[in-house]
Amino acid sequence: MLPPPYLLDDKTKMINNPVTRYSALGLLLFSQTALAKTPLTQGNEALTALTGATIHISPEEQVENATLLVKGKKIYGVVDNDDIPKHALVLDLAGYTLYPGFIDPYADYGIEFKYPKPDNKPPVYEVKQLGAKSGNTAIHAEKDWVDYISPNKAAAAKWVNNGFTSVQSAKLDGIFQGRGVTLSLSEKPANEVIYQSQGKHFMSFHKGSSIMDYPNSLMGSMALIRQTFADTLWYQNNKDKDDFNASSPAFVMNSAWGNLVPLEQQQFIFATDNLNSQLRAGHLMQEHSLSATLLGNGKEYARLNELKGINAPVILPLNFPKAPDVSDRDAERQVTLEQLRHWERAPFNPALLASEAIPFALTLHDTDAKAFWKRLRLAVDMGLSKEDALAALTTEAAQIAGVSELAGKLEKGYIADIVVAKGDLFEDGEIYSVWMQGDETILKPRAEQALIGEYQISFNGLELDLVLEQGKKLSGVLSGGEQEIKLSKPVLKGQRLSFSADLTEAGVEGVGRFVIWFDDNKGSSLHGQLTDAKGAITPVAGTRNTSSTAEDEDKDSKPLPTELVGRLTSPNVAYGLSSLPSAEKLHIKNATVWTSEAEGVLENADVLIKDGEIQEVGQSLRTPSGYKVLDAEGKHLTAGIVDEHSHIAINGGTNEGSDAITSEVRIGDILDPDAIAIYRSLSGGVTTAQLLHGSANPIGGQAQLIKLRWGEDASSLKFKGAPSAIKFALGENVKQSNWGDQFTTRFPQTRMGVESLFRDAFDAAMEHDKARTDYDKLRRSSQRKTLEPKPDLRLQAVAEILKDQRDIHIHSYVQSEILMFLQLAEEYNFDIAAFTHVLEGYKLADELAAQGAGASTFSDWWAYKFEVYDAIPQNACLMNDKGVLTSINSDDYEMQRRLNQEAAKSVMYCGMSETDALNMITINPAKQLGVGDKVGSIKEGKQADLVLWDTHPLSVYAKTQAVWVDGKRYFDRTRNQQETRLLGEERAALIQKLLASPASRKQGELPADKLEPEWHCDTHYNAWGENSHIHSGHNHSSHNHH
Amino acid sequence: MMTGLLMASPALAHDMVPGAPQSQPILLQNALVHTVSVGSLEDTDILIENGLITAVGSDLQADGAQVIDLTGKQVYPGLIALNTFLGLTEISMVRATVDTAEVGKLNPEVKASVAFNPDSELIPTVRSNGITHVQVVPQGRGLTGQSTLVNLDSWTIVDGEVDTPAAIHLHWPTVWRWSSDEKRRKKQQEQLDADIQTIHSAFEDAYRYHLAAKADKVTSSDIRWQAMLPLFSGEAKLFAHADNQGDIEQILDIARRYNIKPVIVGGYDAWRMPEMLSEAGASVIYPHVFSFPRRSDEPIDLPFRIPAMLEQADIPFAFGFRADWDARNLPFAAGQSISYGLNKQDALKAVTLDAARIMGANKMGSIAPGYKASLIISSGDIFNPMEANIEAMYIDGRQVDLNNRHRQLYQKYLKR
Repeated sequence: MLPPPYLLDDKTKMINNPVTRYSALGLLLFSQTALAKTPLTQGNEALTALTGATIHISPEEQVENATLLVKGKKIYGVVDNDDIPKHALVLDLAGYTLYPGFIDPYADYGIEFKYPKPDNKPPVYEVKQLGAKSGNTAIHAEKDWVDYISPNKAAAAKWVNNGFTSVQSAKLDGIFQGRGVTLSLSEKPANEVIYQSQGKHFMSFHKGSSIMDYPNSLMGSMALIRQTFADTLWYQNNKDKDDFNASSPAFVMNSAWGNLVPLEQQQFIFATDNLNSQLRAGHLMQEHSLSATLLGNGKEYARLNELKGINAPVILPLNFPKAPDVSDRDAERQVTLEQLRHWERAPFNPALLASEAIPFALTLHDTDAKAFWKRLRLAVDMGLSKEDALAALTTEAAQIAGVSELAGKLEKGYIADIVVAKGDLFEDGEIYSVWMQGDETILKPRAEQALIGEYQISFNGLELDLVLEQGKKLSGVLSGGEQEIKLSKPVLKGQRLSFSADLTEAGVEGVGRFVIWFDDNKGSSLHGQLTDAKGAITPVAGTRNTSSTAEDEDKDSKPLPTELVGRLTSPNVAYGLSSLPSAEKLHIKNATVWTSEAEGVLENADVLIKDGEIQEVGQSLRTPSGYKVLDAEGKHLTAGIVDEHSHIAINGGTNEGSDAITSEVRIGDILDPDAIAIYRSLSGGVTTAQLLHGSANPIGGQAQLIKLRWGEDASSLKFKGAPSAIKFALGENVKQSNWGDQFTTRFPQTRMGVESLFRDAFDAAMEHDKARTDYDKLRRSSQRKTLEPKPDLRLQAVAEILKDQRDIHIHSYVQSEILMFLQLAEEYNFDIAAFTHVLEGYKLADELAAQGAGASTFSDWWAYKFEVYDAIPQNACLMNDKGVLTSINSDDYEMQRRLNQEAAKSVMYCGMSETDALNMITINPAKQLGVGDKVGSIKEGKQADLVLWDTHPLSVYAKTQAVWVDGKRYFDRTRNQQETRLLGEERAALIQKLLASPASRKQGELPADKLEPEWHCDTHYNAWGENSHIHSGHNHSSHNHH
Repeated sequence: MMTGLLMASPALAHDMVPGAPQSQPILLQNALVHTVSVGSLEDTDILIENGLITAVGSDLQADGAQVIDLTGKQVYPGLIALNTFLGLTEISMVRATVDTAEVGKLNPEVKASVAFNPDSELIPTVRSNGITHVQVVPQGRGLTGQSTLVNLDSWTIVDGEVDTPAAIHLHWPTVWRWSSDEKRRKKQQEQLDADIQTIHSAFEDAYRYHLAAKADKVTSSDIRWQAMLPLFSGEAKLFAHADNQGDIEQILDIARRYNIKPVIVGGYDAWRMPEMLSEAGASVIYPHVFSFPRRSDEPIDLPFRIPAMLEQADIPFAFGFRADWDARNLPFAAGQSISYGLNKQDALKAVTLDAARIMGANKMGSIAPGYKASLIISSGDIFNPMEANIEAMYIDGRQVDLNNRHRQLYQKYLKR
């Protein structure tokens, strides 16, 4: 007898509140009240046959009209409908489709735990911890979340309603978040739901609830991760040595490391909140040869090749964006082209990942769970194959969740996690129930659904049509001819239908009340009674109207267009490139060539470039075959501009402004190849820029020299072969003079303390380095016994300075501090690549020159804070004249594109020669940056970083015509103008498409991308938001300078 | 005598003393004169008497005049930098030296002239680049107070201030970056609506006060609305700071209601709405040349081109420079606009005559008879740092010391 009678007793179940109704064990396992009887026996592992269904055994294997056998918690096999064992309870599922239960490999389900919140007053440099944990409260690698599992039906509902039967879960908090656990979403006791107790280690860059200041930047998080991996390996290599005990001076215990060894065998899930960081996380794990799965962001399409190279599976949230508001002119102007493009392209992203064979699973994480299937179907409409979609929900997810042998298929021996759907879920099917560990949870009662339709009923000699419709609620009408009577309060419970209706129009006075029983579960016929207005009872009979059971066609479901009007560029923002330039073979003719070499300015000169290099410089050169000729008569050619001090093109903060020494952080970790600032500066002739850490601490982070190769990925921006460098800083910023009254506890608070801190750091670094060297010198047999010095990436970077392996660029203003550092450098015997800013350098020009320290200054900035009150625009001249290697830098986004004008100001203020002025933005900074042999002048054999100007390059009227980096034309003014037109057209087309789209295509998530400010030396930005103490620098002037 | 003039300002390490009042006629001869009003005249003489230009022409004669041969030199009207806060702040990060912005949103009565420091060390560094006058603007939110036009060579504000109509500043509330978070966005919208309502109410209250004052029915005075009275009688000017077209439209709406011809300060989107601005009789102070496009997708050179677009659209405008020390770069901002399509004469007009007109200052900003003798002498193009070399400056016929703190320190350390 089908369906079992106890399915029919209660209609309170709703889509959002799945109730386990039926157990294949035949027992009521979960009692809602403490009084119910719970048998002590295991019960019979009863066999259930789900017959007549379409069965997706796996994404690749599907059988029609077959039977799935479920025995206890497991799949017993798939058989022909004719081969059902006799003792099986049969459920007729003809017309239904069975899928393996879906798996969400990235969830925060069912974990009962809260981290303690110490009440330290900010800023917090240290926190007292319970237990031998990491000193940093963002590291929780010691946690095994299996220990904190507490199944929770309400929390599970959002997954179960979408057909998910298991998840991999962890508390999503911190940088190392602990080891996840994969568990069933069933409401059984914790002991019974665990599928994989040793899940993956969860990670993120976000320090979460940690109240410690460190790390407050993205690069700080990356450095902390590196240090933790290094510590773990140290622990791994030393823990079994005899010396590894509390009596050894080098001994440290940390339970986080214990849970990470052996490191090479651990697997990680890395969560990030945007594409750049996703790629960063991938590269970081690759760097350590660790296996990682990356949480996706929906914009993978924009850097597919790079992602593919990382070779990591992706867990994809279907976070398609809400359509930007373009209905109003003013609102539309807030919308970027990138947003419009993303709105259009986001639904194609899953298909694009599949087309590149990047394995991916799907997650509900951070998305509107109710929109999940709508969006997945949209993705299928936009080209994702159903097979790939199903794999993403099952086998790929099982792989990531570490349960491939247990879940994700309907093969014999797998857990009976099953999705029962009517129709094809990837088109318009609906989930009717979900089986978890052999227990069915009903989402939509199959029995009642089968009765929805049209009937002809008769009573009192009347013949009427009865139409039942199931929307969110059951509704219905009685109709005859033109008349339509709406049913009042229709209720369908099992095979019993009741409703009332005002029958006056049908010729029966008053409101009649009906009770109708369908004669079978298909509703072929029905019988019942009408109680009329007078209380008289009349029999009702009827039959199903089979001719019109066809479901309503979705009237407004015109297929959505699958062609794209938006372009995909690199980077995928306005002015991104449709294709990357290649190295030109070019003969530039008859230009005025500013060589920035001893030759000075050559009139009517020719330059040949090839393979990214300057091949020849001379007059009346012959054009080699295969070369294009560029007639540059009347135009000027200079070397690409080099900027010693910039903060463009970085993500997540320019300062790790927490500790006084943060030499372990790397600007190179956080490059942002999407930054339009790259293109804008390129258009001003800048081809090389040093991206510096800010000046929030005396020893800041490691610098990154880049070339402005607009369109390339983050790592391709890096200047290959440039020396390593680091930012130091002096004065007001590092002693926190302008940070507010809160910040008075960090050492140093005076220029005296700054000097002392440097000494301390240098001494510690030397000791650290010596300990390492001593250990390396030991025989292997001794090494096996002796504890290795624990790695310290912070001190290691400082040691590199003292070993001439890392250049210093030091932010400085007043003469006392400059002199102090010159003396310190002499004492500790290292060179200073450049004092940067160095606005009182003119007071010490002799000393700077004598010690060979470079000076990189502003043309005319002053008076914005006390330590620049003696700054003068003749600074560059005074230093240059005394033989100091002098450059002009920008430290400013906008001014960077006018560095030629800034250099010209030295001609104006103090009569510097034009060639010297130009050298201050070309060869001089190139030398300061240790790349003077590669760029900065026009010389045979050097890299072809060139700028063609329409007039004298120091003139305010000069505009770049073309800018080459490595012989590739990354900027061209004519092309720029064409692009402006194209962008206008593209934008208009996208807006029209958006406006013409149905409402359903406009729903989605609001953009989550955090807007980042323009970075300055003193930008105090907390990459992680609420848990730290943001304070911004002053903004009295039109610039923020420092 | 001539050489005496042009070498008169070698940097001597002493205080810069305001120039003495003109005591004899000055005849500048044989210069390339950029008159602004009638173009650039070669080989031209200028006669200055009692602080005024009395003649411009060839072969001028004047009895007892100090005659200066300017062969090979160029003469420009003194430059006027609008929208600065020079003299209100000395060192922007030292709070004690900052007098730029009051608290609250309704301070139409506060006056920049009260706090202007004529002895600021910043001032001589600004004027040595050719700037003779600046508008000093109270910063802040809402009705921020009244600006003043000052010359940059004075003992006190009394001899520094130029006679202009009262200039009341309204900083229009705006949100440039809407949060992507719906809740925060809603908060932003509510705050914005409230701020705008505050402005509307203020104008309504002030207008009511104006009506009462006209009918002699003010029972209790209000210092704020009292300050706004000249706005409604047409004697004061409204300087409304806004960049978004939507915001500018709202300002025009208020201006229409109260019959005010506003000056839009900022005006980033002004080029998009020439008809509306023209109907309202509005002019624009544009301070954004050295800026990035305010919207990330806009043409990279848009801020450079906007002055040319304003000119082309026939919108009266002048350059501003929202800064203190940095205002000395005003001529180069004008130069940058020339590079991006603005005619040189128009650029000059926008830092001289049109700037004076926007302030309502009479007889300033042109080299023409009857005009104030505020002018600068350069050996080259003042818009181009490659050539600019301001050799002498006159304000109202007084010769100005071009020395400054920077030159003094330069000279000092040349001796080291």
